[in-house]
Amino acid sequence: MSSTIITLGDPLMQESDTQPSSKLSMAATPTANTLPQRLADFDTLTDALEYAADGATGYNFYDAKGGVRSVLSYSALKQHALMGARRLSSLGLARGDRVALIADTTPEFIELFFACRYAGLVPFAMPIPVNLGSHAIYVRQLRGMLESSQASVAIANLDFVGFLEEAAEGLNADHLQWVGTPSQLELLPEIEVVFQPNSPEETAYLQFTSGSTRMPRGVVITEQALMCNLRGIVRNGLEVRASDRCASWLPFYHDMGLVGLVLSPMAAQLSVDYLATRDFAIRPLQWLKLISRNRCTIAFSQPFGLKLCALRVRESDLKELDLSCWRAAGIGAEMIRPDILRNFADKFSAAGFDERAFLPCYGLAESTLAVSFSKINQGVMSIQVDTKTLVEKKMAVRVQAEGRKFNEFVNCGRPLPEHTVKIVDDNGEELPQMMVGSVLVRGDSVMTGYFNNHEETNKALKPGKWLDTGDIGFTLEGDLYITGRRTDVIIVNGRNIRAQDIEELAEQQPEVRSREASAFGISGSDDTTVVVLVVECRLTSVEERQSLMSRLQQMVYMAFGVNCLVELVPPHTLPRTSSGKLSRFAARQGFLQRANMADQISVVQSGDR
Amino acid sequence: MVEINQEDILELLCRRLASFANTEQEITPETNLITQLAIDSIKLLNLIMELEDNFDISIPLNALTDVVTVYDLANLIYRIKSNSK
Repeated sequence: MSSTIITLGDPLMQESDTQPSSKLSMAATPTANTLPQRLADFDTLTDALEYAADGATGYNFYDAKGGVRSVLSYSALKQHALMGARRLSSLGLARGDRVALIADTTPEFIELFFACRYAGLVPFAMPIPVNLGSHAIYVRQLRGMLESSQASVAIANLDFVGFLEEAAEGLNADHLQWVGTPSQLELLPEIEVVFQPNSPEETAYLQFTSGSTRMPRGVVITEQALMCNLRGIVRNGLEVRASDRCASWLPFYHDMGLVGLVLSPMAAQLSVDYLATRDFAIRPLQWLKLISRNRCTIAFSQPFGLKLCALRVRESDLKELDLSCWRAAGIGAEMIRPDILRNFADKFSAAGFDERAFLPCYGLAESTLAVSFSKINQGVMSIQVDTKTLVEKKMAVRVQAEGRKFNEFVNCGRPLPEHTVKIVDDNGEELPQMMVGSVLVRGDSVMTGYFNNHEETNKALKPGKWLDTGDIGFTLEGDLYITGRRTDVIIVNGRNIRAQDIEELAEQQPEVRSREASAFGISGSDDTTVVVLVVECRLTSVEERQSLMSRLQQMVYMAFGVNCLVELVPPHTLPRTSSGKLSRFAARQGFLQRANMADQISVVQSGDR
Repeated sequence: MVEINQEDILELLCRRLASFANTEQEITPETNLITQLAIDSIKLLNLIMELEDNFDISIPLNALTDVVTVYDLANLIYRIKSNSK
């Protein structure tokens, strides 16, 4: 383990003091490094950076037109992070105190993230607002995270610091001591300190997983868990080599963006090319152009991102692209539907895309990021199982005869080394292969819990250190197949939305009582997911009912960026369990029956948590 | 460059948005983009792309958080356009 001893007056540092990172150099970092490659065999994140900083590789940020906006080599990152750490030290924080960072795709975010680690502080990334009219609700979401984490410091760039200041108003001042921008932080004095090395047992960062304003859940990830996952990703999942280069548009505030495409490449000393999520969403082909131009080999996306690319591409674009370099097209973060991948491959094979590059994987923030990877260079393997047996016996049997109805599921491969997956029934009993049940994971990447939230921690972490992922699936010959989310997570256009968070919004309306709202997803036309919110309502006037419905639609949109179908029903319509708990599964069945959409009724598995 | 005023932007926007609406709905400055036009994320991205190309501006995400009506959006474009001169 390295200890970091810093001396003031280093000419290199003083020079970079007056030069913001964005001005240092405009040539992207090279793919080939000057160092022998080490594949994430470090004890801590700062150890990994200390090694990478001796090489030539690093992070590159591109603008919407594909030009280099800024370059942050690992060597510059180390210098800047150490400076930031010394400035943070001037605030007199205790080891392990939390630092909230609004995570735009910028060098400053990464510098501050590592500054926290050098200073023994625990950073966490907060989202940037992306929805129309979301101002008020976004501020409340930020406040929820600041409260839940008891953050001492909160930092955002100029675009977002106003939201942060609003969120900070009315917070307990005992915790939050400092709110500002990275440039304001630069005005703080640098304190000469010898930083204590981080230990593997210490918390490396928190990852928030929910847009709830009342009950945000911050996953606690230790250095040990992180490094274990990075090793698994780099060595086993991707089989990284020295000639690799990554490209990413994934937001830094998501686990796949942060762990997969910021921390993993650094731990293997690879260069990365970033496009801001917003720029990708508006012009998705810029991502593919980046891959093509810089000969990138590794780039991950949710299926939704691939769908956007396929939607937008024109024949003329294909001629300009050469995607033959792309060897690992990781697919994760939502249910993988094979047809989206096939469609992408059909479109982009003309640009040299090899469908064997598809790398389906499965994971979740509660297990740092990755749980399992399919075999690299094999492409998508899937299985077609008989729908009737699946529904009636919860059993996945390969479809035998022609013409029978089937469901197709993607092979997500084997768990990483030091990890075990098991499938259990509703009573927690382990099921044999091919039987469908809850997916549980055990291993060194699993979180220690949700920060300051024993209730949620106890729901997720079962005896024997098993993490209940909340997903449903089966195993076959050691490989994992995910068949569905539980009804408490709705996935729309790549966004995971917790049903509970939508219900919570509804219950904040004066007309809605607690436990009288139920949210779930149904399949709409064109295979998209539609969010449905069923609310028990006592109002009789048409105007009042209309007003409530519009308000609910608007609130859900502002908070989650999705349209939602609101149904008002008479009191006592929503089905409850014997303990008085609402059953989303039954609520959904009831809705489908009322809406004459009975064909969808049995496809979803039960499993309200 | 041709001077463009707030009213021109509003008018152009109403015309563009009419193609997003699924009904014969009349678009006015007061039309609520969320509840009345049901602009989902893909439609929103398409709209932003068109507006950026059309007006040669860059619309920052943080500014959209205060946009609910057609008027709000027109006003935002006008402000960005005036500042970029």
